[in-house]
Amino acid sequence: MTALHQEQFTKAVGNAGEINDLLRRYGVKFGIYKNGEFKEQFFPFDPIPRVIPSQNFAQIEKGLIQRVDALNAFLYDIYHDKKIVRDGIVPEDFIYISKGYLAQCEGVTPKNKIYSHISGIDLVQAKDGEWYILEDNLRIPSGASYPLIARELTRIAAPQAFEENAVVDNRGYAQLLKETMEYANCGGIRAILTPGRFNAAYFEHSYLAEHTDSVLVQNDELFVEDNILYHRTYSGGKTRIGVLYRRIADEYLDPLTFLPESLIGIPNLMEAYRSGNVGIINAPGNGVADDKGIYYFVPKMIRYYLGEEPILKNAPTYLPFYEEDMKYVMDNLEQLVIKDVAEAGGYGVVFGSELSKERLEEFRAEIIAQPRRFIAQEVIDFLDLPIIDNGDTVMRKADLRAFVLSGETTKVWASGLTRFSRNPDSFVVNSSQGGGFKDTWVLSR
Amino acid sequence: MKRVNYCFSTKLTFDDYVHDHSFALRIIPPETASQQILSCNLNISPYVPVKQTVDAFGNNVTTGYLRDDHRFLDFEIKGTAEVDCTKRRTDYMPCYLYQSEYTQPDDALRDFYRAHQDGCIGTAADRAAYLCDILSQTIGYQKGVTDTATTAAQAFALKKGVCQDFSHILISMLRMDGIACRYIAGLAFCDGETHSWVEYWTGKHWEGIDPANNCPVGDGYLVISQGRDFRDCAVDRGVMYGKYTRQLQLVRSILS
Amino acid sequence: MGTISLEHSNRLYWLGRYTERFFTTLKALGSLYDKMLDTQHGYTDYLGCFGLADTYEDNAAFLRSFLFDDTNPNSAAYSLERAYDNGIVLREEISTTSLSFLQMAKDTLEKAQNSTNIRLSLLPLEDILYAFWGCINEHIYDDEIRNIIYIGKTVERLDLYMRMKYPYPIVEKEFIRLLKNLNRVPRSTPFRYQTKPLSELVEILGTEADYDRESKRAISSLSRLFEAGEVSV
Repeated sequence: MTALHQEQFTKAVGNAGEINDLLRRYGVKFGIYKNGEFKEQFFPFDPIPRVIPSQNFAQIEKGLIQRVDALNAFLYDIYHDKKIVRDGIVPEDFIYISKGYLAQCEGVTPKNKIYSHISGIDLVQAKDGEWYILEDNLRIPSGASYPLIARELTRIAAPQAFEENAVVDNRGYAQLLKETMEYANCGGIRAILTPGRFNAAYFEHSYLAEHTDSVLVQNDELFVEDNILYHRTYSGGKTRIGVLYRRIADEYLDPLTFLPESLIGIPNLMEAYRSGNVGIINAPGNGVADDKGIYYFVPKMIRYYLGEEPILKNAPTYLPFYEEDMKYVMDNLEQLVIKDVAEAGGYGVVFGSELSKERLEEFRAEIIAQPRRFIAQEVIDFLDLPIIDNGDTVMRKADLRAFVLSGETTKVWASGLTRFSRNPDSFVVNSSQGGGFKDTWVLSR
Repeated sequence: MKRVNYCFSTKLTFDDYVHDHSFALRIIPPETASQQILSCNLNISPYVPVKQTVDAFGNNVTTGYLRDDHRFLDFEIKGTAEVDCTKRRTDYMPCYLYQSEYTQPDDALRDFYRAHQDGCIGTAADRAAYLCDILSQTIGYQKGVTDTATTAAQAFALKKGVCQDFSHILISMLRMDGIACRYIAGLAFCDGETHSWVEYWTGKHWEGIDPANNCPVGDGYLVISQGRDFRDCAVDRGVMYGKYTRQLQLVRSILS
Repeated sequence: MGTISLEHSNRLYWLGRYTERFFTTLKALGSLYDKMLDTQHGYTDYLGCFGLADTYEDNAAFLRSFLFDDTNPNSAAYSLERAYDNGIVLREEISTTSLSFLQMAKDTLEKAQNSTNIRLSLLPLEDILYAFWGCINEHIYDDEIRNIIYIGKTVERLDLYMRMKYPYPIVEKEFIRLLKNLNRVPRSTPFRYQTKPLSELVEILGTEADYDRESKRAISSLSRLFEAGEVSV
């Protein structure tokens, strides 16, 4: 951020309270379980935006489109011909041991061959200005609603800041989402499936339903008849659903295909989907492509499917699965970050430097015992971002979740969710671990 | 080659009315290289319109939705098929090489495999036959001690079970041995209920083996469904609403 | 929109009821507050309307409980919480803006607890509630669906007015308002009235004398107006 923005915002900070009051008024919350009890918390918002100059964003945009296109090609390939495995680019083990791979989805072709309609790609910017991909989220990435409503409110609270900076309007997200949903629509109304009000992202589900003119539904309002998905109306009638933006995990989607004990799924949804009668956003089975172990292979996928060099870099990653990498990981464990591929939401992330000697040795043994379970990455020297903490400006770690929408073409939303850690020593910026968020400004010049 | 008549029926009874009943049945035998379906009649009572699809594993899936109150659901298939095991099936899927829900071994089962690993030599057929022998020496056939939710590891701990359990344990061991294999649900001459056996991949095609009877699979077996384990092959899966506390399922099958 | 589930239609009905219960309770407490300036334990008649015993030390304790104690099911705070609970799952039907008024009401009520002049600090609630209803009217486009929340509102108002023994002309006016709303409900939908309880109501609320004598029976008939009955959501 340039000195100019910084100054404007320090001026506008007088409005920080006002912005948070507005966010409160409009109920910008996320749910959290504390001691077994459901609580709704207001998502702490920091008024100083992350600013991405237009040239820089153009590069990120190109790189993200390339990445998501390759990931979609990969998903189609894995559930059909598996050429990338046969050609030895990705070892078979990594596909079939992955929890995200769903054999039940073999041979199912979603409309227009799009698997990941809404991709949340997490990036960080290093001190040298270079952007690195940290993680792909191709299942149910959340968070777009927060910068969306925050922008609406900061434009009210700090109009001057927008008058003086050429900030690309991000409020077209709902329209973009609506178009993406329509492109996957197999004939019927649009619906967003939520597990219910006690879900962490319920605010988002209902907000996006409101702004995309979709019906917000829960499973008991839906049924499949003649392999067509219907919404049961209050007067006993039925309305056909053409596209379902579901915010529940794959395993719970259809108790007759996946987990029989799921109480939040829709029986025979998969048969309706397989028959091409309903679009599901995102496609079931995407977890095989955003697995932390598969992440390592994404640059290879880009070369394989698109014949292009990756524009955006992965954080340097090692797979203990490979002998050579195992040696490097063992030699450098105390300076690497180790991630458990089975965990999500900032859990299962361990910094070698933070471990005691004994714990380090225990961990070493765990990696040797289950090499497929872990990946190791170099710790990236994040570019810290300023935040306001009790009236002072302090520097904190932050990442950026970019949203890439795949419809007729692949588009990157000119904004994103910037999450920061409120704890000065923490690298983990996940909202479920007490972080806050910022608006992300993409400049038009 | 053998011509067989098959008949299979299930009666599902509830102790109170149920409604909004969605079901998915895997009861229509698939047409494959080694079995030709000459006729197949499906009857469901009470009447409900159904749809047919084919799932990822090549099974015929019959789905339906019964909205109104009912206390039972009966379905029956009847038909004639021509079975010829000399015509090989080649519908391979890589996921069959990996352990699944029901076949994931625990330490005991893993140790058991290791103890017999040295005997696993030769072709896939040799190894499968060897493991089948070991199993029939170790596991006793006994009804009523396991149910449809029992995993390979649980049945192995009991050292008892029925055809489903034999299949799961064999599959688990074959996969530990690096041989792709799948679970088969079907009808066999020797049984009055549904039967289950295993197919392993020889490298070129599937070959059947019946671990509960410790014998190879011949023309007297009719495949109804296949998958990684029992879960992919359940004859009927359903979700219904109501105040019922019990459901009773009666299965009858004839292969002649 | 155009398609609404049974669950949401119920929520909408109860949103109407609880919002109205909050509003009517607040107004009733306002006039009680005025009365209590001159009378110790001036709230006993009010408790009597709901069949409640006086367990309160003084006027202030009563007021604190009936305004702010959300564990007291007869309090304003309790009704507002329930209204919010129903509203939060109806965002795409009623809009984020409508919902924001319920959040503002909650915040205003909470702040008023610590105010030196409670009645004054509760005044904005009236503005907020009227804004809420304006917003509801504006945002629910489908007449049939909008009517559901108004039915909830009028049923609640009529119920409370009868319990609080409001004079006949006022009750009659609300009853006629309810009849107008009920006439808009299509056949074979959940908020279609049941003929029997409605004809009982028509009979009892036909004359002032019948109302004075049989208001209890009228309250009971009102609770049986819909097939679903009193399903609390």
